[in-house]
Amino acid sequence: MTQYFFYFLSFLAIFFAALVVLSKNPVHSVLYLILCFFSIAGHYILLNAQFLAAVHIIVYAGAIMVLFLFVLMLMNLNRDSEPPKSWQGKVAATLAAGLLLLVFTASIKGADALPSGNQPDNTVGLLTNLGKTLYNDFMLPFEVSSILFLVAMVGAVMIGKREEVSE
Amino acid sequence: MNALISLSVLGIVAMLSEIFNFKKFLYSLILLGLVAAIGVNVMEWGQFQLWYGMMIVDEFTLAFSGVILLTGFLWFLLVADNHQDKAHISDHFAISLFAMAGAIVMVSYNNLSMLFLGIEIVSISMYIMASTQKNDLGSNEAGFKYFLMGAFATGFILFGTALLYGATATFDIQKIGVFVTEHNSELPAIFYAGLILIMVGMAFKISAVPFHWWAPDVYTGSPTLITAFMATIVKTAAFAAFLRLFITCFSGVELFWNQTIMIMAGATILLGNITALLQNDFKRILAFSSVAHAGYMLLAVLAMNNQSGGSLLFYLLAYSISSLSAFAVLLAVANLKGNTNVQSFKGLAKKNPFLAFVVIVAMLSLAGIPPTAGFFAKYYIFTAAIANNYVGLTLVAITGSIVSIFYYFRIVIVMFEGDESTEVTVGSNTKALLVICSVLVILLGLMPDFLIGLLK
Amino acid sequence: MSTPADYLPILLQFIAALGFVVLTIGATHLLGPKRHTNVKNETFECGIESVGNARVPFSIKYFLVAILFVLFDVEVIFMYPWAVNFKSLGVRGLIEMFMFMSLLLLGFFYIIKKGALKWE
Repeated sequence: MTQYFFYFLSFLAIFFAALVVLSKNPVHSVLYLILCFFSIAGHYILLNAQFLAAVHIIVYAGAIMVLFLFVLMLMNLNRDSEPPKSWQGKVAATLAAGLLLLVFTASIKGADALPSGNQPDNTVGLLTNLGKTLYNDFMLPFEVSSILFLVAMVGAVMIGKREEVSE
Repeated sequence: MNALISLSVLGIVAMLSEIFNFKKFLYSLILLGLVAAIGVNVMEWGQFQLWYGMMIVDEFTLAFSGVILLTGFLWFLLVADNHQDKAHISDHFAISLFAMAGAIVMVSYNNLSMLFLGIEIVSISMYIMASTQKNDLGSNEAGFKYFLMGAFATGFILFGTALLYGATATFDIQKIGVFVTEHNSELPAIFYAGLILIMVGMAFKISAVPFHWWAPDVYTGSPTLITAFMATIVKTAAFAAFLRLFITCFSGVELFWNQTIMIMAGATILLGNITALLQNDFKRILAFSSVAHAGYMLLAVLAMNNQSGGSLLFYLLAYSISSLSAFAVLLAVANLKGNTNVQSFKGLAKKNPFLAFVVIVAMLSLAGIPPTAGFFAKYYIFTAAIANNYVGLTLVAITGSIVSIFYYFRIVIVMFEGDESTEVTVGSNTKALLVICSVLVILLGLMPDFLIGLLK
Repeated sequence: MSTPADYLPILLQFIAALGFVVLTIGATHLLGPKRHTNVKNETFECGIESVGNARVPFSIKYFLVAILFVLFDVEVIFMYPWAVNFKSLGVRGLIEMFMFMSLLLLGFFYIIKKGALKWE
């Protein structure tokens, strides 16, 4: 049962991801990306990480996608301003992406025969366990991440705020 | 840890200084705080602490934190006379202090999650700082390019971390190292894929060929002050992180990655030096020289012996202080002439013998000519590499340094040409910086044993 | 202990909700009469002719608000795993969260004082 769900969700995720790249209209790309995120959230549930699934939908499909749409609105979409890409660039990009795909596919080989005795805990994704891990073992990264938030805040204000002309 | 806390607190103070109206004292407060942090760092020498399994305070950490704090202090000396944007100065200070805090995390991590956080804090600060000159197209371009490429590189590091976790079920770098030695013969392919991805991401951060394309454009486009920050502090943090990761985690599978890094190092040295020969802009020359120096420093990673840490430390310190003084003179000249072209240095030796002397010392050090720090930096790193049988690569590196003499000396020669130049004035803080840097470069060149003995 | 199977009802509800939407839209589309005229197909059918289209670049102020929203959104996410473990984490957890929150509230204070959320 889980396996069928896995394949179905994987198919959906890849299908929508491909549509993100292929669709001509950037707003459509954003909408497909939301669908892609939903299928990935389904994967999180299959992996017993329900909280992450909810967070993924709230933060990515909700907040980040709004940001994406805003970025699109900041740009001028009327003109066909995108310069035509050279064929060398396309060939290089295809080659690079193909090689990356090769590395990833090759890395899956033998993944079912991992050295034993070091198996990760598969209930760590549950909300209670996640909290215990985060606030005991990963306490320091948690606190340091607040510095990251501060940098982002100061930076957003510095770059995004319109300057007062008279000062 | 203490350095991290004090830098974060200083950053928060800087952030709030405008709101609470003590902007006037902020600068002296930061200098005092940095001096105090250096003092605490020195006092902690010889201790060993593990903070919640996430951060490790050992001699490696303290030595590289010391380099970061010292370079940061010198960089703040440079800021005083050259900062243009007075309205945002407290924000800029806050972000650079946070970036230094991130750099401290990068040199002291004991867990891949901390490495990621450190890289993110430093990178995001740098994306912002690179694009601070909103009306300058070059600065915008630099910020945007750096952001796009950097986000990709961070993505690679994250993906690699995930795969490593998949193979070893831990983020702790020491446990990963133990896992690697215990399961040396049966490591799954997923582990090697993770290793490669992390290596690619880190190679981007240290701007090693073939992942160096962003560096010249970003270094040239950013405001020169920020370029100085990126070329010194960020590079120090990235290299320390690189070395710690490879020595702790991947020393057991050295044969898997050493060929790749060897080619990377050779290509970085040759390409960086040869491309630098063709440039006419001093800032761009320094950018390519920074790429080339990344190649030399990769030799320390390859050496993988007890000389690696010490030689890398020496190299980073020598490179950072020489670059800082070069950037300081460049800033002074560029403020007067309005551009960073090599020809702007014409006649500097006649009118400003002091500045010319500083440039000569810096260039000698960067080129690696005795009796400056740069010579011993290269010497130690080459002996470390030869001790691990990288003779061919060392020959390439020596060829590269010979090539580098041409472009470093071009500036020296230009300084002695012509005399139509008006006098370049530098503020007292910059003067102090130049004196400290030049004295340090010569002092390290005269008695290098002290520093190299710190890390064994 | 919850397992993925426990989430099947949610999936069913998702399908039901989606099915309802598809059904009603499809039904109105099929059942309703179709009379297209040029005036009826106007974007804003209110007597005023529209000028240009909606794809004009808009102010960066929206973006600033949105990005700050994302930051605080992510921050609040951290509260959930803390809240469910509130008792077992004890005083230590409280101190951790207080440090985190106070740093972020400082950030919030900074944003307010800088006037980043001021509209004019």
